Amino acid sequence: METVLTGQRSRRALPSAGKSGRPLRAGRHLLALPTGILLLFCFLVPVIWLFSIALFDPVFSTEHFERLYNSRAYSTVFYNSVSVATTVTLICLLLGYPFAAFLTFLPENRRTPWLFLALIPMWMSILIRSYAWMVVLGREGIVNDLIQWAGLASEPVKLLHTSGAVYVGMVQILAPLMIITCFAGMTTIDLTLVRAARVLGASPRRAFFGTFFPLSLSGVVSGSVVVFILSLGFFVTPALLGGRRDIMVANLISIMVEHNNWGFAATVAIVLLALTLGILAGFYALAALAKRVGGS
Amino acid sequence: MKLSYTAITRAYAILLIAFLMFPVLVVLPLSFSGDRFLTFPPSSLSLRWYAKYFNDPSWLDASLRSIRIGLAASLIATTAGTMLSVWLNRSRGWFRPLMQGVALAPAIIPNVLIALGVFIVLVYLSYTDSELALVAAHATLGLPFVILIVGSALADIDPTLERAARVLGAGPVRAFMSGTWPSILPAVVSAALFAFFTSFDELIVALFTMGGSPTLPVRMWAELRFEIDPTMSAVSIVLISVTTLGMGLAEILRRRQRARQ
Repeated sequence: METVLTGQRSRRALPSAGKSGRPLRAGRHLLALPTGILLLFCFLVPVIWLFSIALFDPVFSTEHFERLYNSRAYSTVFYNSVSVATTVTLICLLLGYPFAAFLTFLPENRRTPWLFLALIPMWMSILIRSYAWMVVLGREGIVNDLIQWAGLASEPVKLLHTSGAVYVGMVQILAPLMIITCFAGMTTIDLTLVRAARVLGASPRRAFFGTFFPLSLSGVVSGSVVVFILSLGFFVTPALLGGRRDIMVANLISIMVEHNNWGFAATVAIVLLALTLGILAGFYALAALAKRVGGS
Repeated sequence: MKLSYTAITRAYAILLIAFLMFPVLVVLPLSFSGDRFLTFPPSSLSLRWYAKYFNDPSWLDASLRSIRIGLAASLIATTAGTMLSVWLNRSRGWFRPLMQGVALAPAIIPNVLIALGVFIVLVYLSYTDSELALVAAHATLGLPFVILIVGSALADIDPTLERAARVLGAGPVRAFMSGTWPSILPAVVSAALFAFFTSFDELIVALFTMGGSPTLPVRMWAELRFEIDPTMSAVSIVLISVTTLGMGLAEILRRRQRARQ
């Protein structure tokens, strides 16, 4: 009896020692349990379900995949999505990079207001931002008023429901993200390098492109990957600002769901997933390669 | 006179900010319009569209539903995500990167994929139009933000305090609550705000699964697809204000957390 009691006492005094350590260590894994349950039911099971209904309908067949591959209308949607995503990523980069560089060269205490000004639009709902463009680009919108006032056209020009409107809307939505990601990469650059190049006689342009620019490329690549992947899955903006021909993969999935064609919707979703994961895998391979080359 | 690089880049930065802020500059005057139809700029001013928003049951129901779902999803995501972050912070072995990868995946995988998957599972279970199911799906979408924010806070803090508490005889929970919890609290609050707005803004999962009882984004979507009246501008301005305040607070807390180290 006494030994049991003293045993208990010594266990209390040394929490990590002896047998008492083990149940604690095992119990610690309970911390992962809630997330595990959530991910299982809201992520893993649904995704596996998608695979199963895409491939078994009711017996195994690749019919949906063949239909997707052979139909020109459906492959056009994929082609269109990739081309829109590429264009949007490039425009975001061209617009966002100079801004991120501008932020980096500001003294630290003066960065915050600018950073917040770039972040605030990012927090606005995508629906609201697309709505604003609908108002601006509509037949009686301010842009059309300006065009007619300037005498460039005598009647309203069709601006809304065009590919151009989709580009404008998506760039406005995704540019802040590009800025933040590029900026995050740039803050790790030692700016004395640029100053050193200047002191050694390089022109401002040469100093920038010789030191700062190559070091900022890792941020550029991550920003581009993030923006590209997000553009690929865009739903609201192409539906509201684009025309019939501007629909993207997510819109195709939604249309298939409306037609109760779940097997095909799941197939489209799986191809989208494969595309996304493929780009990510390429990104990680590139990053690993760059690390190895940089290290040696 | 030669323009300096600084002057040019500053002018450029102002132009870009103007482009990014453009939607607010348009929606703000519209929301105070006194006209019956969407005309820009409005010919007279009034608060009628705000009054309409706050008196229209379909807008109010949708707003309250979104707040309710957002709060519940944020609570679940923050609790589960903080627990997982602590686990990730203290675990080794092959299961750790796997768990981390899967938990971050919902931020990268297109939402439409998760929406379709969840919808099909719910149809199979005859459980569509369920707020509970939407809360769980939204919590999953919020998890990555919680893990990134709380995880980086945990990585930065000094583990000595908690260890000291353990050596002095506190149990693991008590040692955590007294040694670690106070230092990560700003990050946890910031993560909760991120998770709330992730849910509050989410359209596509709600659109697929909540046909009969729309959330605020679903209500807005219906408005934009079929008939738009200036109420939408009033709703937008209310939402922009709420989001800017909430996310601004989240960002300030996150920065304070980082500055603390």
